[in-house]
Amino acid sequence: MVKVVLWGSVRAAAGGAETVEVEAKNVRQILDRIGELHPGFKDRYDEGVTVSIDGQIYVDDWFQPVTEDSEVYLLPYLEGG
Amino acid sequence: MQYEAPQTLDAAVALLADARGAARVLAGGTDLLVQLRSGAIEPDLVVDIKRIDELKKITAEDGGYRIGAAVSGAELGEHEGVRALWPGVVEATELIGSTQVQGRATMAGNLCNASPAADSVPAMVAADATARIVGPDGVRDTSVRDVATGPGQTSLGRGEIVVSIFLPARPARSGDAYLRFIPRTEMDIAVVGAAVSVSLDDEGTCVAARVSLGAVAARVLLVDEGARVLIGTKLDDDALQALAAAASAACSPINDKRGTIEFRTDVAGVLARRAAQTAFERAKG
Amino acid sequence: MLDKTKDPVAERDFKVVGTRPVRPDGVDKVTGRARFGADISAPGMLVGKVKRSPHAHAKLVSIDTEKALALPGVKAVVTRDDFAENKKQCDVLRNIMAREKVLYDGHAVAAVAATSATVARKALKLIEVEYDVLPHVIDVDEAMKPGAPLLHDDMITKGVDPEPETASNIAQRYEFGHGDVEKGFAEADVVVERDFKTAAAHQGYIEPHACLASFTPDGQGELWCCTQGHYAIRGFCADLLGMDISKLRVTASEIGGGFGGKTTVFLEPLALALSRKTGRPVKMVMSREEVFRASGPTASTSSRVKVGATKDGKITAGEAEFRYQGGAFKGSPVQFGAMCAFACYALENVKTVGYDVVTNRPKQAAYRAPGAPMAAFAVESVIEELAVELSIDPVELRLINAAEEGDQSSFGPTFPRIGLVETLEATKAHEHFSAPLGPNQGRGIASGYWFNFGGATSVSLNIQPDGTVALAVGTPDIGGSRASMSLMAAEELGIAYEKVKAIVADTASLGYNEVSHGSRVTFASGLATIEAARNAKKILCARAAKMWEIPEEAVEWVDGHARPAGANAGDFEPMSLADIAKVAEQTGGPISGHQEHNASGAGASFATHMVDVEVDPETGRAHVVRYTAVQDAGKAIHPSYVEGQFQGGAAQGVGWALNEEYIYNDDGRLENPGFLDYRIPVCSDLPMLDTVIVEVPNPGHPYGVRGVGETGIVPPMAAIANAVSAAAGVRMTELPMSPPKLLKAINAKKANGSA
Repeated sequence: MVKVVLWGSVRAAAGGAETVEVEAKNVRQILDRIGELHPGFKDRYDEGVTVSIDGQIYVDDWFQPVTEDSEVYLLPYLEGG
Repeated sequence: MQYEAPQTLDAAVALLADARGAARVLAGGTDLLVQLRSGAIEPDLVVDIKRIDELKKITAEDGGYRIGAAVSGAELGEHEGVRALWPGVVEATELIGSTQVQGRATMAGNLCNASPAADSVPAMVAADATARIVGPDGVRDTSVRDVATGPGQTSLGRGEIVVSIFLPARPARSGDAYLRFIPRTEMDIAVVGAAVSVSLDDEGTCVAARVSLGAVAARVLLVDEGARVLIGTKLDDDALQALAAAASAACSPINDKRGTIEFRTDVAGVLARRAAQTAFERAKG
Repeated sequence: MLDKTKDPVAERDFKVVGTRPVRPDGVDKVTGRARFGADISAPGMLVGKVKRSPHAHAKLVSIDTEKALALPGVKAVVTRDDFAENKKQCDVLRNIMAREKVLYDGHAVAAVAATSATVARKALKLIEVEYDVLPHVIDVDEAMKPGAPLLHDDMITKGVDPEPETASNIAQRYEFGHGDVEKGFAEADVVVERDFKTAAAHQGYIEPHACLASFTPDGQGELWCCTQGHYAIRGFCADLLGMDISKLRVTASEIGGGFGGKTTVFLEPLALALSRKTGRPVKMVMSREEVFRASGPTASTSSRVKVGATKDGKITAGEAEFRYQGGAFKGSPVQFGAMCAFACYALENVKTVGYDVVTNRPKQAAYRAPGAPMAAFAVESVIEELAVELSIDPVELRLINAAEEGDQSSFGPTFPRIGLVETLEATKAHEHFSAPLGPNQGRGIASGYWFNFGGATSVSLNIQPDGTVALAVGTPDIGGSRASMSLMAAEELGIAYEKVKAIVADTASLGYNEVSHGSRVTFASGLATIEAARNAKKILCARAAKMWEIPEEAVEWVDGHARPAGANAGDFEPMSLADIAKVAEQTGGPISGHQEHNASGAGASFATHMVDVEVDPETGRAHVVRYTAVQDAGKAIHPSYVEGQFQGGAAQGVGWALNEEYIYNDDGRLENPGFLDYRIPVCSDLPMLDTVIVEVPNPGHPYGVRGVGETGIVPPMAAIANAVSAAAGVRMTELPMSPPKLLKAINAKKANGSA
């Protein structure tokens, strides 16, 4: 199981849960599992999400691998200037 | 829109007098062109006066100087004689716009644009300058104070053109100065402007003074009380404080995007005091 | 300071990277030959102009274009009726052309194409629009109050449990943090709590939005425009016009500044729609007034920050609430503000809450490190005050609490290798830090953080027959990136900088590229350039191997040459890139390298700024007299343009801190839509902006690059506010610290002091 910390707007879209534990080997599997648990999350995920894995930020990058030891944070979609 | 650039004053006056719609005089154009571009004005006739020779000259006259209406700020700034006699008027004119704008902008244009925040006008008022006006009915001279009657409004009649500004002679041991407040260092419009002109006797006592403020009322102000408190003093701290108080008391500004009533009133006093100190130092030589 | 055992990339010996050659676009720009958005013309071109709402908020009852269309020279008018409803781009659609309501002064209601600008302007006056004026709201705090005029009847605040039953102007609530702030404050010896406000600041790019659109009768579109992201423009336009992406080709012109503000569409879909209707090219150029009224400034904000610390300077808790209005549509950058607010500090207890609020102002657009500067202004002002209360030097206080590798960030994830401490140490070591101050002068210091990202990127690198290299990137060059891409390609290939010519390719010529934003270009396009060069090198080596008749693995690329790898490979004279290029056709065909990827591994950049300000206590005028910007660049590819980014951030920060603001009158109309009264700094307002480049390499980039474009605008407002407050003897909590505001504060303090 991978522990995923939900943050900011993502938490709101996933029914307010702060963390979820899911069976996943990569980013897409995480998103799919959370989508199954919280139907409201799907819309958000379609808008784009940012995932931090062990402190490294990935924007819309489905196949980044995760393990049970990974620190995984779901963050809002990042936009810059 | 009809554009004319006559070579004689008579032709310019005739064009303006015969104009059927709205007509504007173009000197440097640094205000007029901006207004045209923004669509704020849509004149039917624009009369460019820069091709009229007599308006492009600075001439010595009765110990003072007559400055043609088409003389640019840059040309004025290079004139040793005017600089020496009325440094405050020159420094005020040179503050208009940027280096590029200085190549075009004129004192007469600044006067006729009738902005209460015009930089050269308080300095001209403190200098007791006269505007010479030519129109269909001939030539008349009037105090520069009486040209602008309100923001964007002048006392000029149909077909009348300000053709020159006359800066009078002044006694030895005289000096003037102009200061303005802007939030930036340049390329800006005065939030407050203050001009002071003083003449001293041999002991260094002030015998004559004129104090003028810009951007603190609908028109540029002449502050008689400010002059009164300086005359008879050596511009000691008390006199300067009294001047600041008089200047602030004379203000009737508005709140707008550039400043508040409170701010303008306060800063008018500060600038009048600082301008007086500079004028005083210049007068002492 | 730099631990090389930890940062292996720092040991690399660069040949061209780190030098300062003239940029490839430099001569064209200084001679006036460079073609910006408004410099493109086409035969038979029409002029397009936009009719804009004079009202801040009104129902759009009717639009009558009959008289305008009857005017000779008018070829077409478009209104809301010319654009189909679009659920995906609902807000973008309503922003480019009002539908049910006008939501701000300057909101587009119609656009006309005519044979001349004069005719177009006349036509605008002939378009008759009937409005039903509604009450409006401009201020963020006012907009949040119950009973405030509602912009969108269906806006139910997201992120609140339970979901509100009634609509409001609050689009969403965000929350970040960890630990227990109440417990943290209980452990504090000193707690400082303050309210802050910041005004909306415009990006202030000198080049107004401009484009030329051409639509052929068979449904092919071409668009030339100034933008930070022509692929994104293509996507928006194709979607709004209902056309295939491949049928729209977009070329990015040279760009006269963007800073985030040119990452979306304004005129482009209108120009395309007008061109489609008339069958003629249509050119549209915004006036400066239109830029201010109708393109995006950043959000104005209101916030409350509370920080507690022990006597020895350890911060025990940080808490903040941020309220950002982002104009007429949801999407203010408040979440980034809330995430970045305390990012400089390793905190056990931190909580930030953000509210995204709508008001009757133009839709905000990204502005360098969107959302972070306003939050940093508030937090770093409180940190400074805490330092004063604790009698600890502000840099020391920051060092005590500075976030480092392995610390949990205030927004959650654990930080990888970062360089905040190094910027603080470099600040302390700088001569400026201990230089004496003159009368009425004060010194301020502040730090700042921005995420930086990578993203979708495509690069193509073509080896020419003469041994020169054509490099095509798809990220518009907004800060000297063609120079830095050329440097990286030259470094990797082992050839001279002058042998590489980089261009920004159009959307038909390269794969997709995300916008030039998020400080991503030198990192992501750079990474792709390096990979493309490496791919080309593989082919170059393979061609040499063929000619030498040895296995490909037996050839290596060293110093711009293919050579046998080791003695066993055989004895062959190394071949240069030019040698191999010359016979490319005979050895298999043209040689090129590509890279298409979603770049990850962008390293965050931290900065610390130090500034001296002199305040005239009688007029409230603040003048910056000395400025030093210290920032981590990971590795400066072209140091001059890195310094330029630091300086640009500082310069824009000075404007934001001291004078820039959107000023509205009681009717909700913008009072200062021009550079005269929207006061960005002029040259003489600024001292030499000194820079120090700190290089803590980013492990995610082969050369160690960290993006530098945005972080530089995060610390300035706080640093300047701290300096002004020290000089004036009164804490300033509202931006801009314009003279009327500062004088009022000084006079109030005097009055209290004497009472």
